[in-house]
Amino acid sequence: MTHPLYGTTAVAGVGLRQFKRGASPLPERSLLVEAILDACLEAGLNPAEVDGFVSYGDDKNEPVRLMGDLGTRRLAWSASVFGGGGGGIAGAFGLAASAIISGQAKAVIVFRALAEGASGRMSAAVMAHHLNDHLLAAGLVSPAQMCAIRAQRLFKHYGVPQSIVEDLVRASYHHARNNPDAVGFGQDFDIAALRTSRWIAEPFRLFDCSRENDGAGALLLVSAEHAQDLAKPPVYLLGCAQGTEAGWGDLLENDADDLYATGGFRPVARDLYRQTGLSPADIDCVQLYENFDAQGVMSLIDHGFCTYENAAEVIRFDNLIAQGGKLPVNTAGGNLAQGFIHGIGLPIEAVRQLRGESANPVSGVRTCLLAGGPGAPTVSSAIFANKVL
Amino acid sequence: MNHRLDGADAPYWQGLETGRLQLPRCASCRRWLWPAGHRCSTCGSIGMVWEERPLRATVYSWTRTWHRFALTEALDLPYVSIVAEIEDCGIRLMGRMDDASPDDPAIGEAVVGRIDRTRVGDDAIPTIIWSRAA
Repeated sequence: MTHPLYGTTAVAGVGLRQFKRGASPLPERSLLVEAILDACLEAGLNPAEVDGFVSYGDDKNEPVRLMGDLGTRRLAWSASVFGGGGGGIAGAFGLAASAIISGQAKAVIVFRALAEGASGRMSAAVMAHHLNDHLLAAGLVSPAQMCAIRAQRLFKHYGVPQSIVEDLVRASYHHARNNPDAVGFGQDFDIAALRTSRWIAEPFRLFDCSRENDGAGALLLVSAEHAQDLAKPPVYLLGCAQGTEAGWGDLLENDADDLYATGGFRPVARDLYRQTGLSPADIDCVQLYENFDAQGVMSLIDHGFCTYENAAEVIRFDNLIAQGGKLPVNTAGGNLAQGFIHGIGLPIEAVRQLRGESANPVSGVRTCLLAGGPGAPTVSSAIFANKVL
Repeated sequence: MNHRLDGADAPYWQGLETGRLQLPRCASCRRWLWPAGHRCSTCGSIGMVWEERPLRATVYSWTRTWHRFALTEALDLPYVSIVAEIEDCGIRLMGRMDDASPDDPAIGEAVVGRIDRTRVGDDAIPTIIWSRAA
């Protein structure tokens, strides 16, 4: 039997506003309103008709406060995926789709907004979710350090060559170079800049880490039938899975030994592929949340694109780029080089890529995997497609 | 005394305050359990017993921090944090390592601990400081 999420909802519009961190010309909520208006404008849907809102990562913009600016008539559904990090980003689409297919809402905005003045540093907000005296005593107070400790195990215990993260970073900057909306637009990225950037927490240097932007992103999800009547070609949600399983979670580093150097996606990827009947071979491109580059590598491994043993054969620059690669990753530049608004740029690029609007179009693309924030206690992934396969 | 005595791991903190490492195991099936909780995830029994363990461990993983993150002001940069797997019980604890040697810690390397404190704001949190076993 086809899974209820399979092809029954679709993204009909997207909006993205992005600025340098601390440089937003508008208050955070106004940025969000603009992004939502853009998404509705694209779709040709009156923003007053939006009746549902979903976010993740402790977004501070409670939807009820948007009603005035949007002219909302009826707020029927508002919810957020638990978890302070980017782990919930793909799960937000599953939550929005659940509202639509169960008849609780008709037009749902999935959003994330973040401006330093209003929400402070994202890394601090994420850690505030977890901080306790065990972490403080060890001097481990940031996502960078927590991910660094996992990355050491990936490189030094499993022997994954550290050089492959450079290929992932280079592919991100290569794509950003062509993308006028990216932080890295028009820039030639010299890998020496990564190798010589200052240490943050070993094995991470500055350019191994995503750097935050101010901004807001919004995606309008409606039923598949409704999407066919709107202005843009529908981008269908084919499946979504979230959460974790025994042996992984907020465990003070006591995750199961065989899961420790992963992004936490094994159960999520397993469920996602089972739900959709698809496999890694069916995925034409990936929008990969890389808070830190090594975690991006773990996420690709978790999703079945490679293993610890053959990661170096798959995670190669030529293979990761839209121009001829078999596994194009982060075709707008990703969190590293497109910009980082807690990952919301990634599903937006998934939609643009599947509509043929990407700055780095993938030839013949049909499907795109969205992988949420790796290493979070709960994570999520989703698959989008430009037709229901 | 402080918020450390409010949680399920209060005996851990009390132990460090008196110079001992105490860790919990299921009173019924004897499985070591960490983080400290209320019910054994394996056998379903309620009730933990706390047993003292020697401050001996192996390095499970580590990082050396060079960036001045907020809340680490009392630590000299760079400093090494480790995840230490406690001998004969498998529980992993986060701590810091004396980094007198220029060599990186190695995964699997034996370490011995002493109990010190880490100053964070007005608080001084009991902390296990690990060093290479002689």
